[in-house]
Amino acid sequence: MSGLNLVIFIVQQMMSFSVPLLIVALGGLFAERSGIVNIALDGTMIIGAFTGIMFLHLFQNPEAASEQGMLLLALLVSAVTGVMVSLVHAYASINMKADQTISGTAINVFAPAISIFVARLVLGVQQVPFANHFAIDKVPVLGDIPVIGPMFFQKCYLTTYIGFLILAVAAVVLYKTRFGLRLRACGEHPQAADSVGINVYRMRYAGTLISGALAGIGGLVFVIPTSTNFNATVSGYGFLALAVLIFGQWKPGRILFAALFFGLMKTIAATYSVIPGLVALNIPSDIYKMIPYIATLVVLAFTARNSQAPRAEGIPYDKGER
Amino acid sequence: MKTNGNLLDRQGFRNALASVLAILIGMLVGLIILLISNPAKALPGFWAIATGGVANRKNMGQVLYYATPIVMTGLSVGFAKKTGLFNIGASGQYIMGAFAAVLVGVKCTFLPAGLQCLAAILAAALTGALWGCVPGLLKAYCNINEVIACIMMNYIGMSTANLLVRKFIFDRAKNQSLQPAASAVLPKLGFDKLFVDGGAPSSANAGFLVAVVLGVAVWVILEKTRLGFELKACGYNRDAAKYAGISDKKNILLAMVFAGGLAGIGGALYYLSGAGSGIPVLDVLAAEGFNGIPVALLGMSNPIAIIFTGTFMAYLTQGGLSMQTFGFPTQIVDIISSVIIYFAAFALFFSQTIEKFRHRQVEKRRAAAQTEKGGEAQ
Amino acid sequence: MSEYIIEMCNITKEFPGIIANDDITLQLKRGEIHALLGENGAGKSTLMSVLFGLYQPEKGVIRKNGEEVRIKDPNDANALGIGMVHQHFKLVHNFTVLQNIVLGMETTQNGFLKMDEAQKKVMALSEQYGLRVDPDALIEDITVGMQQRVEILKMLYRDNEILIFDEPTAVLTPQEIEELMKIMKDLAAEGKSILFITHKLNEIKEVADRCTVLRKGKYIGTISVSGVTKEEMSEMMVGRKVELKVDKGPAHPTDVVFETEGLTVVNKEHGKKVVNNVSLKVRRGEIVCVAGIDGNGQTELVQAITGLMKPDSGSVKLKGEDVTRASIRYKNTHGLGHIPEDRHKHGLVLDYPLAYNLVLQSYFEPAYCSGGFLRYDKIFQYGDKLIEKYDIRSGQGGRTIARSMSGGNQQKAIVAREIDRDPDLLIAVQPTRGLDVGAIEYIHHQLVAERDNGKGILLVSLELDEVMNLADRILVIYEGEIVAELDPRAVTVQELGLYMAGSKRKAVG
Repeated sequence: MSGLNLVIFIVQQMMSFSVPLLIVALGGLFAERSGIVNIALDGTMIIGAFTGIMFLHLFQNPEAASEQGMLLLALLVSAVTGVMVSLVHAYASINMKADQTISGTAINVFAPAISIFVARLVLGVQQVPFANHFAIDKVPVLGDIPVIGPMFFQKCYLTTYIGFLILAVAAVVLYKTRFGLRLRACGEHPQAADSVGINVYRMRYAGTLISGALAGIGGLVFVIPTSTNFNATVSGYGFLALAVLIFGQWKPGRILFAALFFGLMKTIAATYSVIPGLVALNIPSDIYKMIPYIATLVVLAFTARNSQAPRAEGIPYDKGER
Repeated sequence: MKTNGNLLDRQGFRNALASVLAILIGMLVGLIILLISNPAKALPGFWAIATGGVANRKNMGQVLYYATPIVMTGLSVGFAKKTGLFNIGASGQYIMGAFAAVLVGVKCTFLPAGLQCLAAILAAALTGALWGCVPGLLKAYCNINEVIACIMMNYIGMSTANLLVRKFIFDRAKNQSLQPAASAVLPKLGFDKLFVDGGAPSSANAGFLVAVVLGVAVWVILEKTRLGFELKACGYNRDAAKYAGISDKKNILLAMVFAGGLAGIGGALYYLSGAGSGIPVLDVLAAEGFNGIPVALLGMSNPIAIIFTGTFMAYLTQGGLSMQTFGFPTQIVDIISSVIIYFAAFALFFSQTIEKFRHRQVEKRRAAAQTEKGGEAQ
Repeated sequence: MSEYIIEMCNITKEFPGIIANDDITLQLKRGEIHALLGENGAGKSTLMSVLFGLYQPEKGVIRKNGEEVRIKDPNDANALGIGMVHQHFKLVHNFTVLQNIVLGMETTQNGFLKMDEAQKKVMALSEQYGLRVDPDALIEDITVGMQQRVEILKMLYRDNEILIFDEPTAVLTPQEIEELMKIMKDLAAEGKSILFITHKLNEIKEVADRCTVLRKGKYIGTISVSGVTKEEMSEMMVGRKVELKVDKGPAHPTDVVFETEGLTVVNKEHGKKVVNNVSLKVRRGEIVCVAGIDGNGQTELVQAITGLMKPDSGSVKLKGEDVTRASIRYKNTHGLGHIPEDRHKHGLVLDYPLAYNLVLQSYFEPAYCSGGFLRYDKIFQYGDKLIEKYDIRSGQGGRTIARSMSGGNQQKAIVAREIDRDPDLLIAVQPTRGLDVGAIEYIHHQLVAERDNGKGILLVSLELDEVMNLADRILVIYEGEIVAELDPRAVTVQELGLYMAGSKRKAVG
């Protein structure tokens, strides 16, 4: 492989790892900015991916050459199931004022179990196959640009662009709209929000449900480019997304950077055998797999004291206590 | 204030009631799912879950075998909880402990039989403790949320264990670790004779007894020793502990070290059982670590209760296996346990509701008694 | 149109076991600054919470411009033009000044925030009332004084006409206070009506037109400020209460058991010296009382002495030994006893049985612990002994969970524990807060007995009665400084009140 081709290959690989992380971390961002810790992201991804893939399995036309419309529908299905799952988490966290990590853990246990259970009942096996004809050979015009074209606009997936679209929308919603301003106020100082007439419970529901929708979408986006069947796991990407969120200091721009960094590490772990310099170093792939997590701990150790974490996250809001 | 002997006024009883309620809801959800998926076989399937663990003597033995690691991780989670920490990192501690135990079990054949097994368990405890101490240090000195640090340590542990197994004790053919030498395997203590079904012995072994003994030991530490007094004081009220001159930082660290050690021993007991399983080299977190969470939650972090709730969850697991004959996937058991966890998170709510209800009842009675008296006075 | 913009008539608000507001009437004229004066616990905050919709009163009506209104929550209050600057600001730390002002009242266009219009309005208001702010600065980067101006602008932005200030000067420097006084006058001159909650007489004298005085939840009267002296107001506030006389002979102080020198604590958040160069001495056989209004540095002073907080400079000496940097445990075992201010936060592990709580600082001693194991029989024996000796009432003796005990008995348990450890210096912080008369008498009696036993007692109290009755020497603390040393026999309650309110000071010898 020539040098340029190698770079193109790595960037393309990196996108398929980074984009789902980006989407799910942005989901986590909405929940945490409203004050709810959602460690159920992993489980929500699994269920989202499962229903999306199941939808494709049942309704797609295996003969079709390209089905971008079908993909969009599947993403919608994933988003809706993600919302339903996060509703369960929101109820426990907001209405019942339960420990948010416990209800999140429950969902993480529930998700793979229900996916396998349903898959086995419906299909007899736990893997749900689908026909992956969603890759776009070449985007007209843009695909012809040298270097950039092959990197981002050839053999690419619609989901990549959706990921970046979500990033842009999330940043705008969070910082430029009334909703975003109010959501952030609820995550930092719910009493202040309450005192100016903002319904904290409703905002927190909104934040959690958005996180569910994005986690559901992220689950499907993770599976589509990397596989042709779904096996009730997203390889811990939901937890990795939490790390991305923290690493990104709860800011959309930095989350993108963190997602790309983590994606690069994943790419190296998966493909280092074809990267000339790295093969010579002879570092086991497990080391590369660990790096994102170690990096997160190191960053946390240095930044925890002036962490940008929303101040009220994880603390149930009780209207009675003022 | 004098209690009138009503059971509902005792916190321990209220806690137990909340746990039972969570279990009942979990079982009910399980039943409903079975009914939806195959109404004809739902009832016998459910019956298999409910009784599979005692269907024959081999199954009983299997229950003890499955219970061993999750009692240990349950003790780990519960111990940390008593100091006010949520140890979601038992999975990483468990797998690192498992690696250390198997390493000693494979390599240290120069040790005498009993001693090698002991050394393996000890190595597991130390490695697990090391894994637990990282989030402990980060929490005590850098103020990092232990939940996040534990999640990171789980994945670091998973990759480290994979790396080390591949490097030192790899069975390439099976993509798992080698088996520990016979001299390092836990003794059967006649369990293989006791828990058999038609000549097929169960995998039950001394590991379960070790877990029970450790559970009792943890109870003794928490309830009878100076250390336990300090740990619990920190868990209940960190400010008051500080006021009393107890170092909160030291206790956070200690609690995580102990919790890690317990989870590590869990790994040792499972892979030193001689049941033929090696540490799988997969990019999947060890489920036993997470299964400790519902065990500890259901047991309200009481070590003795955890021995029972761990055995109960193992009983459900065995029940799930028995249910397979009716064509249902075993995952129904995980679904049930997730529902149990979810409702266990409401335990505080249950308990408070009962307390409020009782309070109102007592008040009403008192008010009634007063009006009566008032009436007499007139 | 009614002369009054807001009237609260015959308001009664009860909490379990206490009547916080008992038939209180407050009438606010249009364009006046009306002070609400009273000691801690007089019911000022409750009354304002009722007006702001946070509490619903059991009895009484609220009228605006003569018409009865119902205020169910802060939104209703807002709609009626009532705004409030809370004692603890309700500002989002990482939002800009402008964002905080518009929050909840944002103008949008096509769904997007439209800040330029809001900015114009804020700048106009800022100019009109002399409220200097930087609209683009983050709250966490600006001074407390500017944060308060943001809170005021929040009310003006909402066109509130009734402005409540809850203890607004507590967190300000003298210069900032001066500025605030001027702002309040300007606001009133522009037609705003102001309710000003305080217990600082100087400030009332300076800005208020009229003043309503509350005492122990009751309405005492409403006066025109220009017609009365500070002494008269102080008397109304403090009252000539039925005094709880403590049976106590003269003190016979001997050698110094405890002293601090130049003790200073700087608040990390606003950089203010909350304890400012405090030097004090306590001798054996005397009760030294630190008197002052809540929030003048008492909490920090005690925490710096006991080790719960690290002092920024200065030293603490116990029996001649420098223990400034010693651990809490070391101090506990070397003659320091501490009845903490907050018995639930620091004093007790509420989920522990009573007997455990009674050995909270001594469980590790050989009497209760051998070879790492606790000797529960001894612990419970000791618990039973204290329960009997100090008459602590509990359902199941030493096994009673502390949480289930009454406040009075919880406090008795702490007092028993601290006294029975036989300390050389006993620090008692508001030891009788929230207790009934019986328990108060009991604790006072114990403190005097300890004094006569040759112990040094450092008492921190907000209750003037308590100060006058118990103290052998009074040190008045104001804004973190000891501003006077007084002899309780040579000072009146009214005079003491003036010192506490910062309107008098006297060189400390």
